[in-house]
Amino acid sequence: METFLQSLVNGTLTGSLYAMIGVGLTVIFGVMRIINLAHGEMVMLGMFSAYWSYTLWKIDPFLSAIFWIPLFFIAGMLTYRHLLKAIIPGGELNTLLYTAGLSLLVANVALFVWTGDYRTLNLPYAMTPLRPFGIAVPVPLAIAFVLASLITAGLYLFLGRTDIGRAVRATSQNPEAAALMGINVERVSMITFGLGTALAASAGVLLVPSLYLYPTVGEILLVKCFVIVVLGGLGSIPGAIAGGLLLGMVESLGAVYVSVAYKDAIGFVMFLLVLLFRPQGLFGARP
Amino acid sequence: MKKALPFIAALVLLLVPLGVSNQFFLHVGITVLMWTSLGVAWNLLGGYAGQISFGHAAFFGAGAYTTMILFLRFGLAPWYGMALGGIVGALISIPIGLICFRLRGPYFSLSTLAVAEIIRLVALNWESLTNGPVGLLITSLPHVSFLGITVNWERKEPFFIIIALLALCSMLAAYLFVRARPGSYLAAIREDEDAAEAIGINTTRAKVNVLALSAFLTGVAGGFYGLYFRYVDPDTVFLISLSIEMVFIAVVGGLRTIGGPVVGAVFLATIAELFRDRLASGHLIFYGLFMMLVIRYLPEGIWGRVRRALNMRR
Amino acid sequence: MALLEVSGLTRDFGGLRAVSDLSFNVEAGEILGLIGPNGAGKTTVFNLITGFLRPTSGDIRLDGRCISGLKPHAVVRSGIARTFQIVKPFPNLSVRENASLAALVRANDRGKADAEAVRTLTQVGLGDRLDVPASDLTLSGQKRMEMARALATGPRLLLLDEPLAGLNLHETEDACGLIQKIRDSGITVVLVEHVMKAIMRISDRVVVIRQGAKIADGPPAEVVNDPGVITAYFGKRGT
Repeated sequence: METFLQSLVNGTLTGSLYAMIGVGLTVIFGVMRIINLAHGEMVMLGMFSAYWSYTLWKIDPFLSAIFWIPLFFIAGMLTYRHLLKAIIPGGELNTLLYTAGLSLLVANVALFVWTGDYRTLNLPYAMTPLRPFGIAVPVPLAIAFVLASLITAGLYLFLGRTDIGRAVRATSQNPEAAALMGINVERVSMITFGLGTALAASAGVLLVPSLYLYPTVGEILLVKCFVIVVLGGLGSIPGAIAGGLLLGMVESLGAVYVSVAYKDAIGFVMFLLVLLFRPQGLFGARP
Repeated sequence: MKKALPFIAALVLLLVPLGVSNQFFLHVGITVLMWTSLGVAWNLLGGYAGQISFGHAAFFGAGAYTTMILFLRFGLAPWYGMALGGIVGALISIPIGLICFRLRGPYFSLSTLAVAEIIRLVALNWESLTNGPVGLLITSLPHVSFLGITVNWERKEPFFIIIALLALCSMLAAYLFVRARPGSYLAAIREDEDAAEAIGINTTRAKVNVLALSAFLTGVAGGFYGLYFRYVDPDTVFLISLSIEMVFIAVVGGLRTIGGPVVGAVFLATIAELFRDRLASGHLIFYGLFMMLVIRYLPEGIWGRVRRALNMRR
Repeated sequence: MALLEVSGLTRDFGGLRAVSDLSFNVEAGEILGLIGPNGAGKTTVFNLITGFLRPTSGDIRLDGRCISGLKPHAVVRSGIARTFQIVKPFPNLSVRENASLAALVRANDRGKADAEAVRTLTQVGLGDRLDVPASDLTLSGQKRMEMARALATGPRLLLLDEPLAGLNLHETEDACGLIQKIRDSGITVVLVEHVMKAIMRISDRVVVIRQGAKIADGPPAEVVNDPGVITAYFGKRGT
């Protein structure tokens, strides 16, 4: 029983970070109808940024989020403005291939600059896990979970309460109608991409004390992220959150009760099953 | 005159090993031709049908492993193994297609990636079949003679001829397929899938068919890989970057052209050679960069653009 | 036996019942108008008949043969063709290629398919623009091309989804004439429309649906005076 609870806890903690990455991707899809294949690399860059600000300047990664997140938001907006904007009119296929190229470029430049060595970030205050009710909870993961929840809650408030947030939601439901209402769709797209990038990078920043870091980690994260988004329903934020938590738990339970080797495969299999039996995901609309 | 050009080029290609004996040059040629076959195969699905697959490595690896296993366990000569490798590729493409074609656009693409990854993990862990991460190794190829001459497997010439024939046959197969009725259906599907259904095209069947052909050709090329390099392991033949390289070749060369993958393959091989000594995967940086540049400035691909320019001159 | 028999057709989307126990017949050789306020479920009915959606329950029969649940391409092959509310051309192909692809599905060879394509395209008045890319046509031209494309599949029943939307007065006149000519050539037509004058003028019979359910079924003159129909469109009248 204890193992089971332990798995569940691990799964929820990891799942919350997965969820945040998934939300970033789904928000971009919802507004701009594009799948950003470079999303995994945004997470990776977030991880490396926090790693370097800790290693070089001794800034605690969780604190560094304060300046990394806005920086990545701006970086995302710039990426949209200068790279993506010109490509989108060319169609879904072209945009997909373009982001694939971007993903390849970023991942391999990172590989070239930082080498493929696996790195870890060990926080001195995080060595011993907390043990509430006898369940081991790693400190960095717990902090990440709390911060991720706060960020997600912040996102909810942003989308629900602010004018810009409402503009984002309107555009994701119907870009033409939004434009007719006077919403600057181009600006909203730019802000959304910035948002999605910032979410991805912040997940990276929060995750770096808990995961192995290497330049091509984006690949596996992207595929998981995609599993989440499909599970939860394309464009649905609650869906992405639910999907992330679900994937986290399934992986965690799978590693314990099925096999560690096939842990990653479990997520993929689940994904394929969803495709077969409920392609619209848990919260999605059309198949 | 224009019609005869491809035949002349093909003939010249097959005669190359008679004139050239530089082993390095032949090796580069073999690489280019193998990538050309892969690009042509991928292009059928990606360029003509408009379904971007990121999982073709699955068929490549399936072909490679089939060939290796049949030879090492059952003594079946690799040239037959290659054909069977293609058939295995085509066979596994059917369930894969039936699952993945339920999705459209980017979602289809990523589902192919997931499938390819699952297959890689299976190959990595199913040690009794594939020898796991250790991989499979051919120490010596069977003794065989062709037209009275004993084939010298130590030299590159025989391999060059095999892969040249393979590449030419792939291009011919693709050409015939695209020209025939199935090819027209693909154009409709690519333009608007719902409208294609609405005029009576069984879009699922059409897509599964083109995928099967694409997977077959990819699998045969995979078999050749096993024959030529004589060593396979899951991280070499099932790797995602292999799939991406196929995409790259077709996109840079020109989607929807038969000749495009040739140009793309030459590009890829050149970049790979230039950067191989510097850094193991530095060339991938340039693949990414070129893919972005091509999509932005030359969406029809290099060969596509050239062809259009040549057509305009009439 | 009617050409098309729809009985008890129902379609739910989660909690929303888009089509509710709908039953009507289409007789061979008639022009049937399917009308109703926005959101009534008309396009959903088309999608159900043509296989783009599966019914939650109910039955659709063509010449007595059950076709509900068939995939769209199978429905086409059994003799029903459709146009879309928002035109869906094959934009990068020529007008001729759009139609000949449709004809190719049935024909033995490209020559026959091409001849058939030219025939239907001429029938809709596009005979002089065969090699123009489809995306270059005006909306009226694209709608006519879509009609020709549907006709090229050799249907017995043609479903037109708002063929007159976005057309000016002159184009509407031409389109109405074309629809009548199509019917006169032996093809039964069902059309969804909002342009009342046109529907009333060219339909032999009209079915009115509201919130997924049928509220009237009869000749245009009768239907237009039906109190239920008037309420549906205009709300309750004072005296």
